[in-house]
Amino acid sequence: MEGSLTAIGYGLSAIGGGIGVGLIFAAYMTSVARQPESQKTLQPMLFLGFALVEALAILGLVLAFIM
Amino acid sequence: MISNGLVVAAGEQQGYQAPTIDDMHLPAIFEIGSFAFGKQMLLVMLSVVIVAGFFMYAARKRAMVPSRTQFIGEMGYGMARNSLGKEIIGAHAYKPFVPLLFTAFFFILVNNLYGSIPLIQLPTMSYVGSAYALAIIAYVTWVGVGIKRKGLGTFFKDMTMPSGVPPVIYVILIPIEFMSNMLIRPATHALRLFATMFGGHLAIMVAASLTQYLIMEAGGFAALASVGSGVLGIFLFFLELMIQCIQAYVFTLLLAVYLQGSVSEGH
Amino acid sequence: MSFLMAAEEGANPLIPNIWEIAITAIGFLILLFIVTKYVVPAFEKIYQDRKEAIEGGLAKAEKAQAEAAAAREEYGQQLESARLEAQKIREEARAEGDSIIAEAKERASVEAARITENAQKTIAAERASAQASLRTEVGTLATALAGKIVGESLADDQRSSRVVDRFLADLDAQQQAGATR
Repeated sequence: MEGSLTAIGYGLSAIGGGIGVGLIFAAYMTSVARQPESQKTLQPMLFLGFALVEALAILGLVLAFIM
Repeated sequence: MISNGLVVAAGEQQGYQAPTIDDMHLPAIFEIGSFAFGKQMLLVMLSVVIVAGFFMYAARKRAMVPSRTQFIGEMGYGMARNSLGKEIIGAHAYKPFVPLLFTAFFFILVNNLYGSIPLIQLPTMSYVGSAYALAIIAYVTWVGVGIKRKGLGTFFKDMTMPSGVPPVIYVILIPIEFMSNMLIRPATHALRLFATMFGGHLAIMVAASLTQYLIMEAGGFAALASVGSGVLGIFLFFLELMIQCIQAYVFTLLLAVYLQGSVSEGH
Repeated sequence: MSFLMAAEEGANPLIPNIWEIAITAIGFLILLFIVTKYVVPAFEKIYQDRKEAIEGGLAKAEKAQAEAAAAREEYGQQLESARLEAQKIREEARAEGDSIIAEAKERASVEAARITENAQKTIAAERASAQASLRTEVGTLATALAGKIVGESLADDQRSSRVVDRFLADLDAQQQAGATR
């Protein structure tokens, strides 16, 4: 079996990001379903938070490459 | 050879060999010094022609009752203008950014969709340089706009000092916020686009080459398994098609969100 | 640092080729220029035109409505004025009729008074003439009768008229006594 630990490292880093992004979108949908008029206010926040959380997974990818 | 997860060492290995980046990044058509002109650069230029050509064609008549082409053009323009610009940046300040958002969205969309068009099958953004270029343009724009609108001090204060926090915490918060807003933001902006295009394309290639290997070389019972990998490949193709559109949207949306942060008064 | 080797060796995908950046940036900027210069103004113009057309239509409809309202108002006013006029005319007619009736009444009463007066005058005159003629006739008659009865010639005018006068005075007295009784 050949390969690299970096791929496993990336896989692990993606878990956190995946869960985080899922939670963010779930919370967004819940609040928009409860209060549809808040969508405009929430949407930029949603994407800021989503981008920030996903950054972790992307950093994992970068680390997988530069190993 | 590099030993990382995506580039499996080639060699005298027997059995299945996964495709590598080299299979994806085709050799240049011609080279002048370090300038290697490849298929990808051709596609970038082509995308400029496609986007500009289509929308200028769609808007040429300026008919009150739109033709089908004009209607599609208007729909695309309306999406970039209203749902990306007006709703996120805000009705009072979005006008100057509409061309940028529009260009970013359709440029990326066309370049991404190359990955799903037979015979072309090369998402330009899987070359990291292209993604960097777009992120640099976006970064320069939103930082520039922020400094111009608010002044250097206020802009960095807004970027690094979130309000409503006890002053002591600023000691920790300022470096973190600076890192996340000024450094990680542009990097992830580019890498998100690159990684999804690159990864998706590679995954399709793996599925396709596995199918080919199973049919051509393994034979017998293993050939039946090729059905599985073939279906997987088709599924990945449609998933990738979706991701290509979504990533173009996300890139532009994030650009709009960042611009909104630069335009809006301190919060 | 093997990833800095030539592309055929499998370069690290995160290391960009500077020309990729340049080409993409140039392409993007060209597209941005075209979009800013031609595409966005064209679509904005379409939006603007359509908005104006819709607003123009709305304005036209509003104008038509206003006109209709004005016409209805005018019509109402005319109706009202016509009604007023009719009322006025009726009033006038009634007043005129009243005045005509009053005039006629007055004239009739004047006429009646005149006729009455005339009649009274005529009656009085007739009465006077009848009285006069009666007086002479009754005198002659009475004289003749008395002459016949008395046999005395009453041809003497002076005497006869004295007798007649006395007789008439007696008659008058008698009449007056009858009237008082």
